[in-house]
Amino acid sequence: MSLSSVSSEETTIGTGAVDTDVHCAPASLAELAPFLDQYWREYLVDGGQSLSPSQGGAYPPLAPTSATPAARAAGLLPATEVEQVRSAVLDAESLRLAVLNCTTSFHCNRNPYYEAALTRAVNDWLVEKWLSRDDRLRASMVVPTLDPAAAVAEIERLGSHPQIVQVLLPVRTDAPWGNTRHRPLLRAAAEHGLVVGLHAWGRIGQAPTPSGLTHTYLEDYLANSQILVQAQITSLITQGAFADLPELRVTLLECGFSWLPALLWRFDKDWKGVWREVPWLTGKPSEVARRHLRLTTAPAHLPQDPVQVRQALDLFDAGTMLMYASDHPHDHGTGGQRLLAALTDGERERVVAGNAGAWYSFGA
Amino acid sequence: MTSTLPSGTSSPGAAAARAGYTIVDTDIHPSAPAADIRARLSGAHRERWELFGGRVPNPPEFYPRVRNAGFRLDSWPEAGGIPGSDLGTTQAQLLDEFGVDHGVLIPLQGHTFGAEEPRYSAALCGALNDWLAEEWLAPEPRLRSSIAIPTESPDLAADEIARRAGDPRFVQVLLPTGGETGFGSRRYWPIYRAAVEAGLPVAAHTGGIEQHRGAGWPSFYLEEHVWNGNMMAALVTNLLCEGVFEDFPSLQVICVEGGIVWAAPLMWALDEAWPRLRADVPHLRKPPSEYLREHLWFTTQPIEEPDDPRHLTTALEHVGMTDRIMFASDYPHWDFDSPRLAPRLFPSGAREQIMGANACRLYGLPARASEGTR
Repeated sequence: MSLSSVSSEETTIGTGAVDTDVHCAPASLAELAPFLDQYWREYLVDGGQSLSPSQGGAYPPLAPTSATPAARAAGLLPATEVEQVRSAVLDAESLRLAVLNCTTSFHCNRNPYYEAALTRAVNDWLVEKWLSRDDRLRASMVVPTLDPAAAVAEIERLGSHPQIVQVLLPVRTDAPWGNTRHRPLLRAAAEHGLVVGLHAWGRIGQAPTPSGLTHTYLEDYLANSQILVQAQITSLITQGAFADLPELRVTLLECGFSWLPALLWRFDKDWKGVWREVPWLTGKPSEVARRHLRLTTAPAHLPQDPVQVRQALDLFDAGTMLMYASDHPHDHGTGGQRLLAALTDGERERVVAGNAGAWYSFGA
Repeated sequence: MTSTLPSGTSSPGAAAARAGYTIVDTDIHPSAPAADIRARLSGAHRERWELFGGRVPNPPEFYPRVRNAGFRLDSWPEAGGIPGSDLGTTQAQLLDEFGVDHGVLIPLQGHTFGAEEPRYSAALCGALNDWLAEEWLAPEPRLRSSIAIPTESPDLAADEIARRAGDPRFVQVLLPTGGETGFGSRRYWPIYRAAVEAGLPVAAHTGGIEQHRGAGWPSFYLEEHVWNGNMMAALVTNLLCEGVFEDFPSLQVICVEGGIVWAAPLMWALDEAWPRLRADVPHLRKPPSEYLREHLWFTTQPIEEPDDPRHLTTALEHVGMTDRIMFASDYPHWDFDSPRLAPRLFPSGAREQIMGANACRLYGLPARASEGTR
């Protein structure tokens, strides 16, 4: 499809949009030092530790997918200071609100106590350096993934902050998020009215495929959407997380969306065959997904033909299920424009603002 | 479409109700009794078989099937043994009952045998292939078979492929979807080289070594079964990204029992990412979807089933590979698809292709002679 064939209004988000995935990160571990105690400051210094330039292989700095040309020119890989997000995203796009996601703790080393200290530091840094400086900002808090009790404690410490709207979890895990060992974390999030955000990438060295590490970045990159997030939501639904926690809402971030219908058709069919195994699952998996899941718009993996784009969106009621995300600074291609061009005016309003407003209870 | 015939329906007159087109069933599971494998092993391997059996766990040990051990209730042979161990039962319940013209055997024991100690693995796969040739292919001309191979010992696998290549009853090389590492890895390339030299396609059937990295281990069979589609997508992506299709331009790969319509969003994702990541995969010279459309085939069972059947038609159009989709019943498993009822789900314009014509083209099988059936 030639983009020149559609008017610019149809491929822009207009004013007052809600951006559900804007990335920020500390420029270095020194930024987090004020939020760490003496032991952990020495742990970092004595161990010669530093932040991984590629975030554990997730975003190689020079890879074309890691930053748009504009973000790269501005040195935002991603933004490290609130002024940068203000000018490049909030003001530039005339946003009503943006949700910050910091994945610095995702590729943490294997020390569970350090992970707890690091996630606390990231959260305190988010509150002090970002949320307190612009009331258009909301943020996901991060929690330790290796210690459910520590994760619960962190949610209890910070989960009631009015600008914290989500608990951010990686899709690469030792055990899938539906597993009973994680239930206290999900319960704490639900009890605090927080959405759980499942975001691409995660633990360093956690092979993305069932057969191990991949030689290519392309395969690693697409595993987030084509394999890992699908295993996570299959787990959450099958293992009864939503039956147990009827208020639990889960947003899928930077994991695509066009794969959803094929997964749910398979899931519904299999459930009809083996429902005896999961008696707590009393309705179709697709109905549970529709109630409890929303997906963000970047990356938008869609066909080139606008007729097929529209068909692909109709297979899962995209106007209801999707929430706009720039995923700044990442560059996943032109699918996002094809998506916006295919939405009706009513759907576009819901996708760029209304759905997120309702899902996160942002109010009018 | 998980229809199951009432027990004991194998009416002699079933052939009268044959469809007016060729039916090829591309996924039939035979299962060799342990004693029949033992009888075909030589001294040291036979002793090992008796004392230690196999070391590779079967997926049902992790994720037990919910009822009847995962088999069709009526498929247990009257003479004893497990479903798929008796040719006569398979003939009566499948080939005769539905007027199947040709059937392709997929011996899932190859999935575990293939990952044993290399020499033992080769002996086990050789014994299994001998059993298939002697007990199934010789007495039943409607059947063809896959070649079970020592998957994790690719040099020995290539030997086994070459050994069977002269027997036209063996029509494909069997791979599982779960291996010690990704099947695109160069260590497996001797398998693809041997398959291409023999002019045989490779059939990747769901199963094999059970591993759940990435997101971690599921807890339930429901999750594992849904996951089969993701496993197949991972396999296909790995073959592509490692350059297998570039180095083996004539290789054909059949995705068996992993669903179909996930392939469209996978191709959209690959084609969206590839222009930005070309430097990461310099060995790929054209959009990824072009490789997949030239190299992949799919079997139908268990095809995705949306509430609105028109959605399946749309999704299959998005895949755009109706000329490479082949009917499969998965006999004798619980989620068997009837050759009589399944066609109703397929787009009417592609029904005869899917039920038989595509498979005849791929495997070089004769179409049903015009016999005035309709």
